Amino acid sequence: MDAFWIIITGFLVASSTGMLGNLLLLRRMSMMGDALSHAVLPGIVIAYLISGSRASVPLFLGAIIMGVVTTLLIQFFSSKGKMQADAAMGTVFTFLFAVGVILVTKYAGEADIDADCVLHGEIAFVPLQTSSFLGLGVPTPVWTLLILLGLVQLVFWIGYKGWLLTSFNTEYAKSIGIKTAIWHYTLMAATSVATVVSFESVGAILVIAFLVVPAATAYLITDNLKRMTLYILAQGLLSAVLGYFLSEWVGGSISGSMAVASFILFVGSFIWSKKRGLKSPL
Amino acid sequence: MDAFLKYLTLQDPNVRYVALATLLLGGVSGAVGSFNFLRKKTLVGETVAHSMLPGVLIAFLLSGVKNPYVLITGAAISGWLSILLVDYITQQSKIKGDSALAIVLSSFFGFGIVLLTVIQSNYGGEQSGLDHYIFGNAAAMTPEDSNAFALVSGLVLALVLSFYHSIKSVVFNLEYADAIGINVKFIDGVISFITILSISVGIKAVGIVMMSALLIIPPTAARFWTNSFVRLLLLSGFFGALAGWLGAFVSYSQTAMPTGPWTIVIISLIAFVSMLFAPKRGVIYQRWSKLLLKRRINEENLLKTAVQNEVRGLGKLFNRRSISQRHVFEQGLWNRTVRRLRRKGLIKKVHTGFTLSTEGRSYGAEIDRRHKIWEIYLQRRMQMSINLVHDEAETMEHFLTPEIEAEILGELGLCSRFNPLLEIHELVPDRPVNAL
Repeated sequence: MDAFWIIITGFLVASSTGMLGNLLLLRRMSMMGDALSHAVLPGIVIAYLISGSRASVPLFLGAIIMGVVTTLLIQFFSSKGKMQADAAMGTVFTFLFAVGVILVTKYAGEADIDADCVLHGEIAFVPLQTSSFLGLGVPTPVWTLLILLGLVQLVFWIGYKGWLLTSFNTEYAKSIGIKTAIWHYTLMAATSVATVVSFESVGAILVIAFLVVPAATAYLITDNLKRMTLYILAQGLLSAVLGYFLSEWVGGSISGSMAVASFILFVGSFIWSKKRGLKSPL
Repeated sequence: MDAFLKYLTLQDPNVRYVALATLLLGGVSGAVGSFNFLRKKTLVGETVAHSMLPGVLIAFLLSGVKNPYVLITGAAISGWLSILLVDYITQQSKIKGDSALAIVLSSFFGFGIVLLTVIQSNYGGEQSGLDHYIFGNAAAMTPEDSNAFALVSGLVLALVLSFYHSIKSVVFNLEYADAIGINVKFIDGVISFITILSISVGIKAVGIVMMSALLIIPPTAARFWTNSFVRLLLLSGFFGALAGWLGAFVSYSQTAMPTGPWTIVIISLIAFVSMLFAPKRGVIYQRWSKLLLKRRINEENLLKTAVQNEVRGLGKLFNRRSISQRHVFEQGLWNRTVRRLRRKGLIKKVHTGFTLSTEGRSYGAEIDRRHKIWEIYLQRRMQMSINLVHDEAETMEHFLTPEIEAEILGELGLCSRFNPLLEIHELVPDRPVNAL
């Protein structure tokens, strides 16, 4: 049963972050996932220090605020401060991460928090935090992740047309009066929430991997956005299953193994797309 | 203060290695980071730093010891592999650069985490300290580590010096460098090599994320102060060294404060201060010079319009209404502009309005003249429609220098005192567009 819940958790993380990663990939902002996952750290710590608990709601709020602040700062530095776009991003997220680590170190003694627990949440502990539902022991993280997935799906499908237009042709979208900035900030906020919610249960590294690798795998196979989302879900499920058994086999971190499994699937689709590329008349 | 002096004079042997090592590390990575910065590839450092974890661990597994040279070699090899892989993915598929970076970063690091957990559960005490490679631990550095630092810094310096001109060409203009016969691939490799080298020695001291920050932020800060390549390198190295040194001091004077994050906070503050206060490129300077320009344009417009009214026989007296017939001024703007012009003695207040002083009149006339010259230039040389020249000249009149003015007059074959009474489109009666 433990194996089942762990795989389900991995799959849930893959499906919600994968959907967002899809949009990040198309907007050429994949490193933003890495940046946000570092930058939200001070938000989490401050929210934790203010609320004094590890309850999810304040942590999410802290993370959302920090995610949007990060985006605004990057925007400000590159447009008003005339910093190179990549340097602006690198400066902002490493600075915020450093502040986060300092806060964690400073308050480590007084509070039950450390950088390891924030960044390297362990998926192996998921089955231990059960809450009973209809006589079935369903782990709490699974509930949280289900809600997250629902939210992400809602945002994704409500905004489907907007995402499609703003991702593929920003100039055109602007010219027909779509507020591209709103879509940008919605995506950033959603990514920070997804990042933080997933952090807690699976750790940062798997979040970064699932933000980009499933989307990239699907991107190599198809050009159709709807089909891409389907492949992303399949990729996520396969990575979770393969990763779990890989970790059983070598006896290492489950999150890390899932990231590795996801990469192996990517390599598969990479080779496949290369072969197909050679055959096609183009 | 006492602690600072003690730190400064390196009396405490414990802090000596740490201070020197972080100073060296900051300096070297600051300078090396400028190459990636100028090529707009700053995030490569982030991926390389994360990708080094499995290399370190495999080196440990193969050798069974925590010798810094062995681990650095392992780190460098896997860092190198990650760069090759990123290049391969972007060249061979439709995946873009940033996605390739993120893919390689997360996969290598994930693999590293798997290895780390396997090692931690299978090895006893001899593996402890390997996790320092993730978050960094400058305090745990040994003399051996700082020797490695010094050695690597020397190597980086030697490489940069010996390929200085080729690196400069490749960084600024790849195609040009290729055309003049520089082996671009080789120089590319040299830049990658020194990047990897400095990251691989640094991650143990300051951690993965902090290491990539040390490559990104110093050149970003330095860029606000200079346009010269050498100065950027030196300044970036200086900022990095300063931050490393101060960061080590904070962690020395405060208990349980990590060196890496403080170094980054300090270098970030340097960057923020540079962004705000640097001359020429700083935000405040740019805002201020924009404001001054706006003020000058408004003043010149007012003077010019007053002169034009005089020429057209509308009298020497002017007020907001008479000026606004040709050039609209809002009340607030009018008050501010008039106040500045009166202070400069360019206009005088008389009981029913304002009038130009002698200096004001010649200043306004000069602007008016430039306007007319530019109109004629556009019409004759640029073959621009006579209906369009006025708006263009409205802007250019504020920017023409006496030198350009003389050059234009010479080119058009006009005498240097050329000053027609009216603007050229006023000489020709308005024609409907379809009659042209």
